[in-house]
Amino acid sequence: MSRQARDEHDLVERLVAGERAAFEEVYRRHNAAMLRMCAGFVRNHATAEELVQETWIAVLRNIGGFEGRSSLAGWIYTILLNKARSRLRRDGRSVSFDESGEDNGLQAAFDGRGRWKDMPELWDEITPERVVAGRKVLEHVNAAIEALPSAQRAVLILRGQQGLDTAEVCAILEISEGNVRVLLHRARLAVRAALDRLQ
Amino acid sequence: MLSCQEVTERASDLIDGNLSTWDALQMRLHLAMCKGCDAFIGQLRMTRDVTRSVGEAECRHDPDDVRIDAILSQLHEAKRTDS
Ligand SMILES: [Zn+2]
Repeated sequence: MSRQARDEHDLVERLVAGERAAFEEVYRRHNAAMLRMCAGFVRNHATAEELVQETWIAVLRNIGGFEGRSSLAGWIYTILLNKARSRLRRDGRSVSFDESGEDNGLQAAFDGRGRWKDMPELWDEITPERVVAGRKVLEHVNAAIEALPSAQRAVLILRGQQGLDTAEVCAILEISEGNVRVLLHRARLAVRAALDRLQ
Repeated sequence: MLSCQEVTERASDLIDGNLSTWDALQMRLHLAMCKGCDAFIGQLRMTRDVTRSVGEAECRHDPDDVRIDAILSQLHEAKRTDS
């Protein structure tokens, strides 16, 4: 068993035993991401809070039956997505992967032969460390993520932030691997454009 | 030879290591000769890394005790009505 798998196995056992510190650890790791992803689907912050809370209760109630066929994170996000889907169905809506307004802001950057009109230049102000140290850029990035269409947002959070592997993201969102890649790329282009505006 | 636009379309696949050896080579050839695309790939890498760090930064907040308590007491209630 890999180190990571063993750590996760221990964490699950502690959750099964009802250890509060174990729950705090999982909550800390995923709660903000769950809220942000869920709000993208239900378009309402209060509803997202409610569904995330229900998800946590379902996670703790059913953790004894978790068999490790997926990662713990994959299992948690699957429960969340199912809750979001049934809430939307109840309200006569569905989890829409509407990608309207798909223009990634790059079409206009090229001439008729696909060459840059204005060449991008390297950023010298931005590094991950500086971004995290200064609230301003961090909030700017979060705002850019919250402005993404729901499917792009979900893929960026699951794959690009929470580190789930592509196969798990496909299973959770019920989309193909090709789709995951395209959505991830579009989401990054949008965040890149937001960062570029800060230069 | 790939156009700059084609390079940007495949940029994430390049930085994530999803391209075949041949396709990656085509990209590298273009990047060696095109400053704009080379800068763009650098920006996209930085975007990927910054996005990840922003996600990690959120996990450093202490969890809200009130919420944790609310979840645990609802859990308790749900288990009680089960049995
Ligand atoms: Zn180029």
